[in-house]
Amino acid sequence: MISLRGRASDFGPGQHLDRAVWMVVDRDRLTPQRHGRAYKLRDCEEAPPGFGLYLVDDARFAPRDGAWIALPPLLRYVAAGDVISASESGEHVRVLWRAGSPNNSVLLTERCDHYCLMCSQPPKERDDDWLLDNAAELIRLLPTSTPGIGFTGGEPTIYGERLIELLRLCRNLLPDAGVHVLSNGRRFANFGFARSWASVDNPRMMVGIPLYGAEPALHDYVVQSEGAFEDTVRGIVNLGEVGQRIEIRVVIHQQTAPALPEIAEYIARNLPFVEQVALMGLEMMGFARANVKDVWIDPLDYQPELREAVSLLALRRVRTMIYNHQLCLLDRELWPFAVRSISDWKNEYHAECTDCSARDRCGGFFFSAKYKVSESIRAIPAAETQAPALLSLGR
Amino acid sequence: MDANEQKSDRPTEVRFAASTTSVDAIQRAAYRFGDRFSVELLPGVDEHICILRSRDDADLDEETENFRVEVLDQTLRVRIRKETEPIRTMILAKAFSRTGVVDPQDLD
Amino acid sequence: MSRFRGAEAFAASGDDWQLLPFRFERLNGRVLVTNMVGEHLVLSGEDFEVLATGELPADSDLVRRLRAKQVIKRSGERAPLSLLALKARTRHARLAESTGLHIFVVSLRCEHSCPYCQVSRQSEDRDRYDMTLATAERGLDMTFRSPSRSLKIEFQGGEPLLNFGLIEEVVRQAEVRNRDEGRDLGFVIASNLALLSDEVLDFCARHNIHISTSLDGPADLHNRNRPRPGRDSWERAVDGIRRVRETLGVDHISALMTTTKRSLDRVRDIIDTYVDLGLRGIFLRPLSPYGFAIKTKSYSAYDAERWIDFYREGLGYILELNRQGLDLTEYFSTVILRKMLTNVEPGYVDLMSPAGIGIGALVYNYDGSVYASDEGRMLAEMGDETFRLGHLEVDTYESIMTSEALLAPLEESFALSAPMCSDCAFETYCGSDPVYHYATSGDFLGRKSESDFCRRNMAIFKHLIDLYENDEFARRTFLSWAGR
Ligand code: SF4
Ligand code: SF4
Repeated sequence: MISLRGRASDFGPGQHLDRAVWMVVDRDRLTPQRHGRAYKLRDCEEAPPGFGLYLVDDARFAPRDGAWIALPPLLRYVAAGDVISASESGEHVRVLWRAGSPNNSVLLTERCDHYCLMCSQPPKERDDDWLLDNAAELIRLLPTSTPGIGFTGGEPTIYGERLIELLRLCRNLLPDAGVHVLSNGRRFANFGFARSWASVDNPRMMVGIPLYGAEPALHDYVVQSEGAFEDTVRGIVNLGEVGQRIEIRVVIHQQTAPALPEIAEYIARNLPFVEQVALMGLEMMGFARANVKDVWIDPLDYQPELREAVSLLALRRVRTMIYNHQLCLLDRELWPFAVRSISDWKNEYHAECTDCSARDRCGGFFFSAKYKVSESIRAIPAAETQAPALLSLGR
Repeated sequence: MDANEQKSDRPTEVRFAASTTSVDAIQRAAYRFGDRFSVELLPGVDEHICILRSRDDADLDEETENFRVEVLDQTLRVRIRKETEPIRTMILAKAFSRTGVVDPQDLD
Repeated sequence: MSRFRGAEAFAASGDDWQLLPFRFERLNGRVLVTNMVGEHLVLSGEDFEVLATGELPADSDLVRRLRAKQVIKRSGERAPLSLLALKARTRHARLAESTGLHIFVVSLRCEHSCPYCQVSRQSEDRDRYDMTLATAERGLDMTFRSPSRSLKIEFQGGEPLLNFGLIEEVVRQAEVRNRDEGRDLGFVIASNLALLSDEVLDFCARHNIHISTSLDGPADLHNRNRPRPGRDSWERAVDGIRRVRETLGVDHISALMTTTKRSLDRVRDIIDTYVDLGLRGIFLRPLSPYGFAIKTKSYSAYDAERWIDFYREGLGYILELNRQGLDLTEYFSTVILRKMLTNVEPGYVDLMSPAGIGIGALVYNYDGSVYASDEGRMLAEMGDETFRLGHLEVDTYESIMTSEALLAPLEESFALSAPMCSDCAFETYCGSDPVYHYATSGDFLGRKSESDFCRRNMAIFKHLIDLYENDEFARRTFLSWAGR
């Protein structure tokens, strides 16, 4: 697992950095741009002049002039094209962007009006508006050709119009980027806000909204907030009315698994205008661990419900994807719907995986699978990966 | 058979308490069975009396029971319709209004 | 200890339930409930009692299911209303948008002499029974006056290929007009294929024309139904189908069968014939009560019950074939399943309410008369002009669409206000078919309790729901048909 934040092993004494967000460059990716660029020095390399910040792996090679940070060992992978943020002194470093990763998502806030039973990133109630400012700086630094960017929280829509401004900036500066925003969708129940969102007018923008039930009782319980289902559904309807692209996400756990067919039916009939539905495996992080008794379920145990849900959706032409699942736990028939989605830094394999012939196609594991994983992980013999599905689910 | 001959021409009488059963419900039920028997309805203050006459040799004993159940169902249908009529009208108005399905309260 | 609240905390309290509009029908002990837009659920008798008496518990599986299907809601909730409105609107919009079908009867002549066909003439008299170019042009004027975004022009007969020159001209002119109009324009020729020449095929290929033909089943059945000199109707149709498949493509050919008394115990043979010819679907068609069929009393020989058995057996066999890996669709069920399982209105004329006549289709007869439907035209050929809406020479699109001959049946047959239908759990799947009811009972509405249309449809609806609920394979197949 790759660390995304750390404490500098050393930094320039008494320095005050004039900005928080920096794009990393080095000898091989040298550019005439200096604004917001941090230069990563190789050991013994002579520092080229004019950069507002230098990064070194070892304090012994710090430059004589200018501000510098010696990266802690776990952050030494930081390379040209990555974007980091640093505290004013340089002591605290976060990696905001990794050029080598296909799924960069940017945390906009840790505040949230939900308190989901299985939240992998438990909300914190404190002012973190600076995360939004940093995101704007990040967007300004990224190459125009950036192919995609995701925004997560907490709940990004708590910023209201300020989020809309950020998304507008994103459309203007990163015209090629697919933009994915994760939101609980409640704020869109306000039609004015849905319209604002639509006014960003970015055909590459999609919002991912979780739905945990086909009626209020279950959804509200899972997100621990009364009235959530009502707002979220009205929000989705409003977004549909203004022609926005929507993804519905259903995290499968002990509470939602039995309701999967109902949820699928609900989406197919009520929200068929959504672009896609993502059925997601549970990540054993954050509250999921605290509530392990109430949320853990072996994926093997919900295969019938998952099959039924996928047929209810996919056969009616609702695009359906299964995320975060190990193939050996997934009904053979569902393989065509499985997407390799776990971001690379969490993708670690089980001992069984070594001999598994499906390894290339497998969703793999979250890092947190160390905490709890199905007992039924089994290498798949080569012969079986070829076996045709018995029934076609319309793919 | 003997029984067969009897059932085709002997009318059967069924009574419903006027306090719980409307004439409307009885008429609707009667309509549904139009292919099997006819119903003559004599509305009253306390009781509505129905006289069932078989068509095409329908077995009236069995049909009488079906008719009773159907009158109950129709009573329920009348109730549901009455109870939900305002909501129905509201939904249809919403469906075909210019502002669309968005709630007016949400339009700020 | 926990910061988390249990599921009970979010369960709705028991006393503020509001009923949303719903309808129900008993199915052997269980009860089918459909909501305002036709989504269904099947409840046990006991559960239904609970719903009927209004004593719903605070939280239970039943309450969940009823809320998920918008049968009940709490008083403050608005989302269910928005969703029902949205679905009602979607359905209606599709209805208004539904393909305008414009049927040109380009010739009444035919070289077949089928006993149940009352319209065609075996005559060489072209002047008398062929549509003229002037009439066809007026027909095109009217076609393009209709507001639908997509227009389908279907050439019928008689045998339309007997007046192929006119077809070519209409296609050309329609395409020219459409350059400005930009509608989604399609053509179909309904032919028995006996006269299918390479020249015709070539023209169809160049203009992307679909062919719809008649195929009643195996040779003996088909040829008995469709006498022609040489007794080779089947051989010609089969040969035609093969050639169309190969030159125009499998998706450009469909076949329609006429169900006769002799068909009723041969449903498997019929289906086998379709499969053998590589057709991708079959329409298990009810027997038409019109025209010759009524005159000869051949219709009364078929009670609805026997046809229903025929349909059930056929559908069962089609599902069996699908289970074995064949991709074969039954189109009549598909129309109904789309209404049952999606918000799409398939716009099938016989199953629409308000009725599909006029809105869904207009028929321009060879002599310039305009009819509300093909069946309406057939009645006229038998001397009953009830569904004649006007004439191309004197009427405009507006005068046709507001004619008494169209509005009266539309209004009088409207299922939502019809006795029985208005309370029927299947109303959203069904239609009003005023032409059928007029033909069989003399009024547009018909007494549904005595109508074979109603009996047959109800039996199909129940059968489809039964299969959908109880047979996983059938459910999947139905979903995929509905999703096409
Ligand atoms: S054994 Fe490992 S690689 Fe193979 S399917 Fe299971 S989790 Fe995936
Ligand atoms: S015709 Fe029969 S099945 Fe159709 S809606 Fe009317 S009552 Fe129901």
